[in-house]
Amino acid sequence: MTDTTYHLPPQISFSQKLKNSLFATPFDFFLTLICAALFALLLYWFIDWAFISSIWRAEDEPLCKEASGACWSVIDARHRIIFFGLFPFEEHWRSTVACVVMIATIVASCVPWFWTAIRLSALWLIGFSIFYILMHGGVFGLSVITPERWGGLALTIFIFAAVSIIGMPLSIVLALGRRSKLPVIAKLFGLFIDFFRSLPLLTILFTAAVITPFVLPGWLQGDKLYRVIFGFALFFAAYQAENIRAGLQAIPLGQDEAGLTLGLKYWHRVSRIQLPQAFRNSLPSIVNQFVITFKETSIVTIVGFFEILASGSAAFGTGKWTVHYIEVYVFIGAIYFIFVFSLSRYGAYLERKLRVGHV
Amino acid sequence: MSNFKNRIIPTVIASCFAALTLASTSASAENGDTLKAVTDRGSLLCSGHNGSFPPFVQVTDDNKWSGYDIDYCRALAVAVLGSDDNLKVVPISWAQRFPSLQSGDVDVIIKATGWTMGRDTELGIQFSVPYFVGATNVMMPKELGSTAPETLEGGSLCANAGTSTERLAANFFKSRGIEIEMITFEKSEETREAYFAGRCDSLVGWGPNLAVTRQSAENPDDHAMMDVALALEPESAAMRQGDDNWVDIVNWMFAATWIAEANGITSANVDEHKANPADSTVEKLLGVTPGIGERLGLSDDWAYNVIKQIGNSAEIFDRNIGAGSVYKLDRGLNALWSDGGVIVPMILD
Repeated sequence: MTDTTYHLPPQISFSQKLKNSLFATPFDFFLTLICAALFALLLYWFIDWAFISSIWRAEDEPLCKEASGACWSVIDARHRIIFFGLFPFEEHWRSTVACVVMIATIVASCVPWFWTAIRLSALWLIGFSIFYILMHGGVFGLSVITPERWGGLALTIFIFAAVSIIGMPLSIVLALGRRSKLPVIAKLFGLFIDFFRSLPLLTILFTAAVITPFVLPGWLQGDKLYRVIFGFALFFAAYQAENIRAGLQAIPLGQDEAGLTLGLKYWHRVSRIQLPQAFRNSLPSIVNQFVITFKETSIVTIVGFFEILASGSAAFGTGKWTVHYIEVYVFIGAIYFIFVFSLSRYGAYLERKLRVGHV
Repeated sequence: MSNFKNRIIPTVIASCFAALTLASTSASAENGDTLKAVTDRGSLLCSGHNGSFPPFVQVTDDNKWSGYDIDYCRALAVAVLGSDDNLKVVPISWAQRFPSLQSGDVDVIIKATGWTMGRDTELGIQFSVPYFVGATNVMMPKELGSTAPETLEGGSLCANAGTSTERLAANFFKSRGIEIEMITFEKSEETREAYFAGRCDSLVGWGPNLAVTRQSAENPDDHAMMDVALALEPESAAMRQGDDNWVDIVNWMFAATWIAEANGITSANVDEHKANPADSTVEKLLGVTPGIGERLGLSDDWAYNVIKQIGNSAEIFDRNIGAGSVYKLDRGLNALWSDGGVIVPMILD
């Protein structure tokens, strides 16, 4: 064996690794044991509370007082409020289908096959129209249900989807505008972005919901829901634009110049050279912004919307259910977790696929 | 750059002023004829809540609004439109109440809103006669032995942070020289949980809320109310300033339910009373002799419709707060004066 040979790292079995990292010294052994015991205890408590000693059916509510575990009866009795808010009971099939369609649209737009401008816009146009027609009604013999009765998970998904589809194209325009070579345009877009980034989301929502009716003429006001979505989308776009701009600025100038020498037009350079790489570069922060936006939808409750958290408080906010608010919050937490966890797992999948970080 | 500043700042200020003027004109345009706006629109916009506020505003298992305040919204819709089919309950938060009224998002606020001078004079709104009184009170375990305020000397009090009840309680005990430690929480669930977990010796809250909390205890009988109330708050409906007829309509909508109760008229027997009115008040109330509608710009049978479809004040209380509800609270001060309460129906002449 000479000095110049490189050794492969010794092959260590899994159990050996475990031993090295957890049970190397008696003190480590002791610490590992304590932590494992604590973890097991917590897990046992949770499983016992949530599954073993819990009451499941709405009819069994009287048993809840004696039971030591969770009283899921509240979810059984009131889950429709959590999902659909004040949407008329008889029409729940509409909101159910609408939600499934919208989630399917979101999932489909994550599939690489849809990633062309035409396919993506067609998909969203169809998905969004179906959702809107089912929720709002007024055609095909469906009764009209105005947005003040929308609520719950359906409203949360609607706000998230609408903010994303208005905000995403807008953020690309803003990011490109801020990098414009014309100083007037660059300054104006910069001012716009910085203006919306300097305002708290709550202020924007309150202004959109409450103040704009005083200022705008009646025909321009639209429904409160759309004003709020529009304000939210501006806020989202301002932040997302900066993420995209970061991705754009990471591209070496030479690439654009090479495109220029080949005689490519501005839009070709943007859509074929700059944007694909910009998205790849800033993917983690773009996904991050989506995750934040999904969670921030709960702020609309302040301006009087029945999104999922408000519906949750309505679900336990009555006579016999007031004591079971923990179950409702755990349930809503699980719904948020499913959405946000899938979003971030999808982000991780994309990073692997596009091999970000290995460029 | 300074040139830029010199130009941009006056422009900004000028446009702000323009916006404000616009704002005030469109606001005053809203102050017109609410009754006409409601009948033209064909629907009444009443205040709901972003969540629930039992027993005033809550949601039933089949996704419908219910509650004491919602029933009065329904009564107003029946009075103005003839039925409550076209009542639209707009969910609004506490903070958003008054701006929503001003911007026309709602026609009336019936949402456990206390009548205060600041709101009355500074916010451009007008209050109806109080339709509910709620006492702010302190709940404590019976095992303390006494329900006098002095019992709590050196003890602790759980309160919701930043609420008027917290301030009321602090002032109350300070003025009596009783040392008490305030422990405050953001959410009312936390406050309640802290009290039941024994983190504090007592819990301050507002009328029906506190009573509902007491009922959610494992043994409601283990807890008692302090024998002195901290304050009594009159709750009124709120309307935009400058629409006197609309204020009259809301006032007389409340009065109709009280007069009906005082005369023993319920949703079940209103037709018999209409067929055989006992006196001239009943005749006028039920539209047997004309007048009650015309003077408000409504139809003469509006009060009959309200009683027939929604019921009198006793029925509304019973259904939402009293024996007919899960809360089973005593009517107490909210009974008519003749039953020992503070509600005094106006005179129908």
